[in-house]
Amino acid sequence: MKKKPTRMQQPEIDRRTFLSTLGWLGVGLSGAVGVLGNLMYLKPAVDYGPPTRIRVGRPDEYTVGIKETRENERVVVVREKEGFAAISVTCTHLGCTVRATEGGFECPCHGSQFDNDGFVTGGPAPSPLAWYQVSIAPNGELEVDKNVKIPAGTYLRV
Amino acid sequence: MQAPTPTPDKRTAVGMFFESVYRSIFRYGRLPRDGEGASYAVFNSLFLHIHPVKVAKHSLRFTYTFGLGVIATCLFVFLTFTGVWLMFYYFPSATEAYGRMLDLRSAVDFGFVLRNVHKWAAEAMVFFVVLHMARVFFTGAYKPPREFNWIIGIILLLLTLGLSFTGYLLPWDQLAFWAITVGTSIAGYAPVVGEPLRRFLLGSDSVGQEALIRFYVLHVVILPGLLSIFLAVHFWRIRKDGGLSHPADNDTPAIKE
Repeated sequence: MKKKPTRMQQPEIDRRTFLSTLGWLGVGLSGAVGVLGNLMYLKPAVDYGPPTRIRVGRPDEYTVGIKETRENERVVVVREKEGFAAISVTCTHLGCTVRATEGGFECPCHGSQFDNDGFVTGGPAPSPLAWYQVSIAPNGELEVDKNVKIPAGTYLRV
Repeated sequence: MQAPTPTPDKRTAVGMFFESVYRSIFRYGRLPRDGEGASYAVFNSLFLHIHPVKVAKHSLRFTYTFGLGVIATCLFVFLTFTGVWLMFYYFPSATEAYGRMLDLRSAVDFGFVLRNVHKWAAEAMVFFVVLHMARVFFTGAYKPPREFNWIIGIILLLLTLGLSFTGYLLPWDQLAFWAITVGTSIAGYAPVVGEPLRRFLLGSDSVGQEALIRFYVLHVVILPGLLSIFLAVHFWRIRKDGGLSHPADNDTPAIKE
C-alpha cells in the first residue's frame, strides 16, 4: 500500500467534488449557449411587415388643396400650391389612425387634434405627425419613403 | 412513502423549507443508497417509472436491443422541439411558404440548423423505427404476451410514415409539389376508396393551397398528437408485458413484475 503524503496538505476539494462541479459547469454552459442560440433564432431577422417605400400615383392625379388619405399605407398625400407632401396618419399618442378634418386632423381614439401641418392643437398627443420624404420615381409616380422623416412644411415642387 | 434513513436534524429553517419543497416534488430524498431506496425513486418519478423497478440481467446487454426504440423516441422529441421552433417562421400559404423556407435557410439565425436537424432527424426516425421493428421481429418479441404491443408498433410505424409524407409538402418547392402529386395519385389507384381518399387529402383536384393547409394541420397537430398517445400506450405495455422479451417466457406463461 502507498504511504499517504504527510508533509503535503490534503487538497481542499476531493476528486468527486471537482469532477461533479466541472460536469455541472458544462451543463450550465451548454444550457446558456442553447438559450442564447434560441433567443437569436427568435429575434426577428426578416421584416415581413408592409413595405416602407410606397408609390402613390402620378402628380397630375392630384388637384391643388386635396388631402388624400391612404388608409392601408397609413399616410395622407397633400397637394398645396407649394407642392406635394406626405404626412403620417398614425397618431403619436397610441398609434390609431387619424382622420382628415377641416383645418387638420383628429384622432378618433382619444381626441388628439392636429392642424394642417400636423402640429398638435389639442388632446393627449405628445408630438406632431411625421412628414415623410416624397420624390418622383423613375416611372413618374410619386414615391413616399416612410423611413425618411423631413421637417414639417417641406414640399416637393413638381 | 417513508424515507428509510432519516438524517440527523442540523439544518436551518431556510434549509428545511427548501428540503420540504424538494420533497414535495421528488418525494424521495437524495440519491438512493439501497435497493429499497432505488425502488422508491423509480416509483415516484414520472420519467424513471417507464422502467420497471427490476429488470432482467440479459436486457441490460446493449446488443440485445441496440437502444433502437429509445433512439426513435429521442428523435421524436427532437422533431417535436425543432418543429415547434420552425413554426415561428413557417407560414402554410401557397404564396408565402416557399419564401419562408428560403428565409429560414439564409436569413434567420440558426434557421438552417433547425431546419436541417428537423429534416435529418425525420429521415433517421423512419430508419430507426424500421430497425427497431426488425430487432423486435428477430428476437421474437412480437409473440404472446406482446402481440398487442406489436400492433401498436405497426400503428406507430404508419404514423411515422404519415408524418414523413405530410412534412414533405411543407417546403412548397418543386420536389414537394411533385412528390405529393405522385403520392396522392398512387393513393387514388386504391379500389373504391382511392379517388375519394385522394380528394380528401388534397381538399381539391390538384395540389394547391387546400392541400398545403390540410397537410400542415395533419403534420403539426393531428399526427403528432396521435403518435404521442400511441407512444404512451406502447411504453405502458412494455412494462405490463414484463419488460423486454426473454427466453423464460416460453416456459413460464405467468408474468412477474
